Amino acid sequence: MVNPVPVVKDVVFQNLLDDPYPSYDRIRNLASAVWVDSARINLVTRFDDIMEVERNHAVFASTNPKSLMNKVMGHSLMRKDDELHQIERKALEPSFRPGVVKKHWGPIFSDIADRLISAFEDKGEADLFKDFAGPMASYALIELLGFKSDVAWQDISLWSQSLMDAVGNYSTDPGITARGKAAAGAIETEIDRVLGYHTENENPSILSSIAHAEHKHSIEQIRANVNVVVGGGLNEPRDSILTLIYGLLLNPNQLARVQKEKRLFATAFEEAVRWVSPIGMYPRRVTQDTVLGDTQLKEGDQIGICIGAANRDPSHFDDPSVFDINRPRQQHLAFGGGPHFCAGTWVAKQMVGEIAVPMIFDRLKNLRLHGSRPVIENGWVFRGPTSLPVQWDV
Amino acid sequence: MITFTFVNPDGTETAVQVAPGYSVMQAALANGINGVTAECNGSAACATCHAYFDESVTSALPEIKEHEDDMLDFAASPREAGSRLSCQILVSEALEGTRIRLPDAQ
Ligand code: HEM
Ligand code: FES
Repeated sequence: MVNPVPVVKDVVFQNLLDDPYPSYDRIRNLASAVWVDSARINLVTRFDDIMEVERNHAVFASTNPKSLMNKVMGHSLMRKDDELHQIERKALEPSFRPGVVKKHWGPIFSDIADRLISAFEDKGEADLFKDFAGPMASYALIELLGFKSDVAWQDISLWSQSLMDAVGNYSTDPGITARGKAAAGAIETEIDRVLGYHTENENPSILSSIAHAEHKHSIEQIRANVNVVVGGGLNEPRDSILTLIYGLLLNPNQLARVQKEKRLFATAFEEAVRWVSPIGMYPRRVTQDTVLGDTQLKEGDQIGICIGAANRDPSHFDDPSVFDINRPRQQHLAFGGGPHFCAGTWVAKQMVGEIAVPMIFDRLKNLRLHGSRPVIENGWVFRGPTSLPVQWDV
Repeated sequence: MITFTFVNPDGTETAVQVAPGYSVMQAALANGINGVTAECNGSAACATCHAYFDESVTSALPEIKEHEDDMLDFAASPREAGSRLSCQILVSEALEGTRIRLPDAQ
C-alpha cells in the first residue's frame, strides 16, 4: 500500500535537539517519509529508503534554487548535481586522497594534537570540547585550507558556526543571517590574502588544489566551496573526536581492547559515527512525483535524509543505541552514500581515529568522566557533545 | 549485452549479463553480488568496490589515474597487479567472458 505523507504535529523541536532518537524511532515506524511540523520538512529515516534516495539523484536532487545555503555561502558543489558537481568535486580530490592525508596531513595533525595536550596535560582535568576537540579540528582545518597560521582557532570556529546557523535558519531570523554573511565576508578576506601564494606555489592544501584544478574556477566558485569546507569540515571531526572518547569512557572493556590492539581505534571510530552521527540530517529535493518505500512523494517536496536515524535502524543494526566496537563490519551512512559522499572521509579517519583520540588515551593516564560535571550532548541536524568534562591522574 | 563472471570471496561464481556503459560496480550491485560494498556509490572516495581483474584484460582497461592509484593502496584487502576500483571501470567489449575476482574484505 502506498500512502500520502503522514503529518506529525506533536514532535517538540526542543526534544529533537535534546535527544532526537525517540522521535526518529517513532517516525521510522510510521512511514518512509513523514512531515514533521516542528522541523518543517519530510523526514526519511529508514536505512533502505535512504540507500534508494542516494542511488537515484535524478529523482532526489541536491540542486535547489530556494536553498538557504546558496544565499549565505554562494552556490557550492553541495547544491549541484551531475557534471557541474563532478568538476568541482574533482578539484578538491588531490588534498583529500588517503595517501596525501597519511603522508602530508598526518604529521601536521599529530603536531597539533601534541601541542594541545601538552598545554593541559599536568592539570588533571579539562573540558575536552573547548580544550581539545574544538581547537584540534579548527587548527587542522586552517592548515587543510591553506589559510596559513594567522587565523585564530576561535575565529574559524565562529565562522563555521555562523555559517551553519545561517544555513539552518529556517525561521529567517535577520540576526543569524547577518552573522552568516559576516562570516562569509571574513572568509573572503582570508582567501584574498593567500590565493596568490597558492596559485604560484602548488601544495597539498585545498586552496592550492582548487587553484590548480583542470577546470578553472571562478572566484565565486572558489569562495562558495571554501565556505562549504569551513562550514562542513570543522564540527564533524570535532564532534566525532568527543563521541569516540565518550563511547570508550562509557565502556571500559572496549577501551581496554583498543588500547591493547591500537588498530581497533579505526573500527571504534566507525562505530562512533554510526552511534551518534555528526551530520544527522541533510536535505534533498524531489524532482518528480515518485514513490519512496510506502509513501507517495510529489514534485518539489523537500525531504530531510536522516542518516542519524538510519544508522540506528533496527532492521540493520542489533541493539542500535548501544556503542559496540565488536559489531560485525557493516556499512553505515555517517558519510552519506551517493555522489556527495563526504569528500573529507580520509581526513576524518586519520585525524580522529588514528591520531587525536589514540593520543588522548595514550597521554592522559586513567582518563575518566568527571566526577561532578555532566556530559552535554545537543543537536539533531548536527549532533555531538557540547561539553565533555574529564579527569585523569597527574 | 556483455557477459562476464564475478568470482565471490567464498569461491562461488556468478555470471552476469550487463549492458555496456554501466560500471562494473553497478553491475555487481544490480546482480546482488555481496563482495562489493560501494559505500560512496561510485564517487571514487571509499575504496569499497575493490576488484581483481584478469591480466588478459587489464591492458584494455582505461589507465589508472592518480586518484584511483592512491585509493587502491588503502583498500581493505591487499593490492595486486589486477586491482581496480570497479566503480571506475565501465562495462565494454573488453570484459566479454572475463572473470573478475572480489576480495575477502572491502
Ligand atoms: C567524522 C567526520 C565527518 C563526517 C561524519 C562527515 C559527513 C559528511 C556527509 C554526511 C556529507 C554529505 C552531505 C550531503 O550529501 O548533503 C559530507 C560531505 C562533505 N564533507 Fe564531510 N564529514 C566529515 C568530515 C569532513 C571533513 C574533515 C571535511 C573537510 C575538511 C569534509 C568535507 C566535506 C565536503 C567538501 C563535502 C561535500 C562533498 C560533495 O558535495 O560532493 N568532511 N560530509
Ligand atoms: S564505490 Fe566508492 S570508490 Fe568505488
